[in-house]
Amino acid sequence: MSPKRQPRPTAPPRSASPSRWPLAVLIAASLGLGFAAFSSFDPSTPEDQVADRPVARPDSGYVSSDTCQSCHPGEYASWHGSFHRTMTQVATEASVRADFDGVEVTNTHGSPMRLERVDDEFWAEFDDPGWEGDDAERPRIRRQVVMVTGSHHQNIYWYATEHERGLNVLPSVYLIEEARWASRSAVVLHPPNQSLAMLDGHWNAICIACHTTQGRTAFSTPFRSEAFRDQVIDTTVAEFGIACESCHGPAEEHIAAHRNPVQRYRQRLVDAPDPTIIQPTLLDPQRSSQVCGQCHSVWEFYDLEGERLANDHGLPYRPGDELRDTRFVAQPSVDRSSDAIRALATADPDFIRGSFWPDGTIRVSGREYNGLIDSPCFRDASTPERTLGCFSCHTMHKPDDDPRSVSEWADTHQVGAGMDSNEACLQCHEPIRADEQAHTRHAAGSSGSSCYNCHMPYTSYGLLKTVRSHTISSPSVTESVRLGRPNACNLCHLDQTLAWTAEQLDAWYDIPAPPLNEDQQSVAASLIWLLEGDAGLRAITSQAMGWAPAQAVSGTSWMVPHLGEALGDGYDAVRFIAARSLRQIPEAPPLAYDFDGPEPERRAAAISFLRAWREDPARAPRRAPELLLDPDGELRLDVMRRLVGRRNNRPLFLRE
Amino acid sequence: MTDTYTRRHLRLGWWTLFAVVGLGLGLALLRVFDVEAYLHPANDTRRLMWTLAHGHGAVMGLLHILFGVSFTLTPALAPQAPRLPSRALTAAGLLLPVGFFLGGVSFYGGDPGLGILGVPLGAVCLLVAVVATARGR
Repeated sequence: MSPKRQPRPTAPPRSASPSRWPLAVLIAASLGLGFAAFSSFDPSTPEDQVADRPVARPDSGYVSSDTCQSCHPGEYASWHGSFHRTMTQVATEASVRADFDGVEVTNTHGSPMRLERVDDEFWAEFDDPGWEGDDAERPRIRRQVVMVTGSHHQNIYWYATEHERGLNVLPSVYLIEEARWASRSAVVLHPPNQSLAMLDGHWNAICIACHTTQGRTAFSTPFRSEAFRDQVIDTTVAEFGIACESCHGPAEEHIAAHRNPVQRYRQRLVDAPDPTIIQPTLLDPQRSSQVCGQCHSVWEFYDLEGERLANDHGLPYRPGDELRDTRFVAQPSVDRSSDAIRALATADPDFIRGSFWPDGTIRVSGREYNGLIDSPCFRDASTPERTLGCFSCHTMHKPDDDPRSVSEWADTHQVGAGMDSNEACLQCHEPIRADEQAHTRHAAGSSGSSCYNCHMPYTSYGLLKTVRSHTISSPSVTESVRLGRPNACNLCHLDQTLAWTAEQLDAWYDIPAPPLNEDQQSVAASLIWLLEGDAGLRAITSQAMGWAPAQAVSGTSWMVPHLGEALGDGYDAVRFIAARSLRQIPEAPPLAYDFDGPEPERRAAAISFLRAWREDPARAPRRAPELLLDPDGELRLDVMRRLVGRRNNRPLFLRE
Repeated sequence: MTDTYTRRHLRLGWWTLFAVVGLGLGLALLRVFDVEAYLHPANDTRRLMWTLAHGHGAVMGLLHILFGVSFTLTPALAPQAPRLPSRALTAAGLLLPVGFFLGGVSFYGGDPGLGILGVPLGAVCLLVAVVATARGR
């Protein structure tokens, strides 16, 4: 007999007890509020409580770009997309481009650097760069990365030294385009086997001037005047990166004046200059270019008093001021014999050579104002309307009618719409427009008919690449012979000799040919520069061999062994550029080569590459004596050795 | 007498809703086709103004309907012809959304165009309409 199932007790009838609803609503509301609070929780320390790095603290009339955004959303948006904004950033997930998640970096100085993410923080363990004892006993240190410089080509990471707000740099740099690390010494054009300067406090004292808005170094005594750890360092900035007030000046007065809507609308409707703020494009070309020149120039304080003043209160220059009132802009092409230049050269013998060609024109990137003021289009202009200024070609805010995206515009050096063409020069040189070919002697639309390619060749160096010279000039073989500066013709016609170029310039423009030695008459100019030139010249030439217009004009098959030889260059930067150019040459064998790897591995990789090229049955390099390839396609080693024997081996550190 | 007002405001309300639905469709299309004149950060002000025009238009349409229905449901609300609140509400229903819309047609950076002047006038009219209705005038 099966047990009788007991009837289940019936539950009391459910009733919507009114007393439970308020409780349910309260719980739901609490959960909702809790979720909202959790989502909006920012774990980072508030800026005013940060003690181990420089902090943003706008004062002295500065208000920060956030304040500008509400009234100028368009201008804010294009600035926000520019690389000016991201020149220096606090280290965050958005600003740090490298992977820190348990990564070991072997391209570094000393033992491998270990990287680690701890929640939102970035940490690195590496050899202590400040160790002064026996190298074998160099201790390891673990530091937090707190700031980042650069966002376009490189990420340079700064760590908290744990001494006040002082920063130092990680021993390796992240190359963004290549998505790889390289040791710090490898990313600057710097003499091999020469140790790099210790950079403790360097950001606070030097980089701050141009990588932030109104930085105050705030060192208790002048930088390097005593031991870093004995100094009090309370570095602050108005804003990290180059922000609105770098170019428009402090905006507190402007904000106060325009808080009144009547005043604001009156200003909008009258369409007259606003006296409460500087509008750089409304300044005359000299003054407007100085706004850019405050950073894009080689300058120094006039004296220690000036340095101390800037240390305490920030740099005194304000947009619209005369730049030279408060700083010395070095321009050796015109003031080489001045007391100021002599004093600088005495204090630092490599001051001129590190930034300028022998004639005093600038040769490093980021100092374009020096180039501009050396240009006849600026220097000799008759009226402001016909004076070349930075804003003749560049725009700091992408105009509404520019069809490019903000990132395209930022990627092309913020040149205005159409200003990357001959239109830039034809603004003033209008008569040439009628028959451009008569002036350029090259087919219309060809790379040789580009004003830029002839008058602004890639002869400045920085960030492991070349940039256009901003000293507007005409091709000159004399300059190439006398100064060692490549001329525009041979930077494109890489396979031609200086004699060939001199002949063309004489025939086309009545420019007399200078006396040339036998090699200059018989060997391609590019190969003379690559074999004889200083490291800067070798970098420029290696880059030109990877430049598409030059490759199209000169052919590429003959470049392979010469760039292959450059893989053994003593300078990291030259090797890097040579390898990059080789990878752009279709005839080149595959290249497994790390420019920053151990020397034996590099050499083995270069030899293996050259062997693969020699043994390639399909190899058919263009054979010509001026290209140092004999009729059998073999390198003319005797000539190469002779040219290398004459190489300018004086150590060179280009201060980009 | 109030029938006239009821009819007028119900019709105004529905026609206003028709207009704002049309505007909403237009704004949605501007977003669908990623139109820079509407979506570019430089045009934030336009986007805000037209969104406000849309929102205020919808609310004003509903207010017209509510106003019209009120007299049918509760005739005691308006012992006499509600001339003042009706006129004020009609003016507000026009000035608020149109003011916002015009403020976004041409504008100055973060400041709306001069059409925005219609908005405070509309707000005053709305206030008058609400107070007058509450007082049964």
